[in-house]
Amino acid sequence: MDHGGARPIWAFLTGPYALFLFVLLLVPFANIAMYSLHPYSPTKVFLPELTFDNYRKIFDLYYVRLFGRTLRLGLITTAVCAVLGYPLAYCLARARPRWQAVGLFLLIMPLMVSAVIRVFGWIVILGRKGLLNQALLGLGLEPVKLLYSETAVVIGLVNIFVPFMVLPIMASIERISPSLEEAAQNLGASWYRMFGRVILPLSLPGLISGCLLVYSLSISAFVTPALMGNSRERLVGQQIYDEVLVSFNWPGAASLSLTLVLVTAALMFGALFATRRAGRREKAS
Amino acid sequence: MPPSIELEVRALTKRYSPQVSVGPISFEVQEGEFFSLLGPSGCGKTTTLRCIAGFETLTEGSIRLHGERLDDKPPHRRDVGLVFQNYALFPHLTVFDNVAFGLRLRRLGKAEIGDRVSRVLQLVDLAGMATRFPAQLSGGQQQRVAIARSLVLEPRILMFDEPLSNLDFKLRIQMREELRNLQRRLGKTSIYVTHDQTEALALSDRIAVLSHGRIEQIGTPAEIYEHPASAFVAEFIGSSNMLRGRIVERSEAGTIVATATGLRLHCRPEPEGEVETAEVSILLRPERILVEAPGGRAMPGQNRVSARIADVTYLGEDLHLSLDLVGGERLRASVKNSNAARGWAPSQSVELVVDAADLRLLRR
Repeated sequence: MDHGGARPIWAFLTGPYALFLFVLLLVPFANIAMYSLHPYSPTKVFLPELTFDNYRKIFDLYYVRLFGRTLRLGLITTAVCAVLGYPLAYCLARARPRWQAVGLFLLIMPLMVSAVIRVFGWIVILGRKGLLNQALLGLGLEPVKLLYSETAVVIGLVNIFVPFMVLPIMASIERISPSLEEAAQNLGASWYRMFGRVILPLSLPGLISGCLLVYSLSISAFVTPALMGNSRERLVGQQIYDEVLVSFNWPGAASLSLTLVLVTAALMFGALFATRRAGRREKAS
Repeated sequence: MPPSIELEVRALTKRYSPQVSVGPISFEVQEGEFFSLLGPSGCGKTTTLRCIAGFETLTEGSIRLHGERLDDKPPHRRDVGLVFQNYALFPHLTVFDNVAFGLRLRRLGKAEIGDRVSRVLQLVDLAGMATRFPAQLSGGQQQRVAIARSLVLEPRILMFDEPLSNLDFKLRIQMREELRNLQRRLGKTSIYVTHDQTEALALSDRIAVLSHGRIEQIGTPAEIYEHPASAFVAEFIGSSNMLRGRIVERSEAGTIVATATGLRLHCRPEPEGEVETAEVSILLRPERILVEAPGGRAMPGQNRVSARIADVTYLGEDLHLSLDLVGGERLRASVKNSNAARGWAPSQSVELVVDAADLRLLRR
């Protein structure tokens, strides 16, 4: 009766979501892991014997290229998001509350539009006779072929993912007292040197979280690459989709999915470990 | 030869909006002087400091450092050190790197940087702390790092923005003394911003008292305390009794003032033209009131007034007495906790002895 106070409150607070994750993530995940260890059969979902063939296949040139292209596009998208997002994050973090609210609303707005509608918007702009090319023609310049290329995919992905870069960076810059900026300038640092020596190192954890978020979202993106990309240069997401729904190769799709998850997880942990170490050095004990 | 003027602030004005503005403020700081800007929050003292540091731009007026125009330079080229209220130490850098920050920006050699940093750390008594991070230091130590970080660059002027307000009481007094000693030893021209009159009195060579964006008075601590130029200064610095009265007689021997309740008080002769109006405020400091048993005789140049003790507050070192005058005014007196004072108790009748020289007449 008097154990009420000792009952671990955290179990009640985290329990519902833990259950949700267990039923809807871990169980299907285990199921996929199980599929990936069985051989493909054109007539059944899979054959009963165990095999590593599905994973061995990933080292074929086609799949190596597939992964290489995906990771490379993820890297480019992340870099572009960081370059575009960081200055924005700084301005938002230092803006007056009212302007910050307006800025955040504008930043988040693209996320409120469905992915398909947004992509069609880009098609209207980037298409062969789209707004961009008409503008170029109007200026007497050569039209460019942008749609259905890697560039188009990067443009589309950056468009969606910039908020995921901006928000964590903004949060970490907001925690840096503006008086640190003034102190650095008072000690003789121009604004740019102050930025490089104070703001950038202190906001690094936010930048790293932003990069991790955008990178993991980019390499598993599906709709944008499928609609804006070149169908011959597809990404892992599209390949998984095709193997599930077009060729019904569930074991193949399962092994690709697991590999993608493992690569993402490895990158995440690597980066988190690196920030933790940086953080510990900073606080020290 | 008079000491040369290090900093000259002329008609500094900062307008935030038509309603909110600071200035015009003018003052000069002599070389080697410890100069304080004192006032309640919102009086413009921090704005003035930030204008000198370059974090705010002046709407009007000018700031000159050794005759050279300062207000058009960017903040990082001003050569005035600023110690921030919250210290503003760089959390990702060690004590050494914090102090070396400005030296590295000046691209000095590694050996010289090491040399100057360790010398200044010695000066502020932090020699063993070079490898620590700010979060590992106490408030007083962080404060000293902040001072060292500015000092190491040997700026023309060192400025302090309420540097002691984040420390607890005992440490505040200790740091106050250390700060004073350091400044005396180095002879560095300093500008100190504070709302704490005790700090300003204890530290400064001269104080500028500010109110509502204007300077009320500039003077040495003693001048400001003994001869406040306005009722605001009198009430802001130290505690005070204010009585309302009108001048009824002026002569070589002194001025006589009558309060509304008919009390006649002798004051020392007012210097020509200092208080022209007849309606005045009379300032009387609580520690200048002598409380005696009734029956004494007034000496020339003294006022002797009957009163009744309304309340006694025991403060250990001092006793604070609330005293009701016959006319109904209430005065506060502060007396030393001595044998003589031990007997005072509420509702006792006493006589107050006040020197004519301790009454100060102020324009109302």
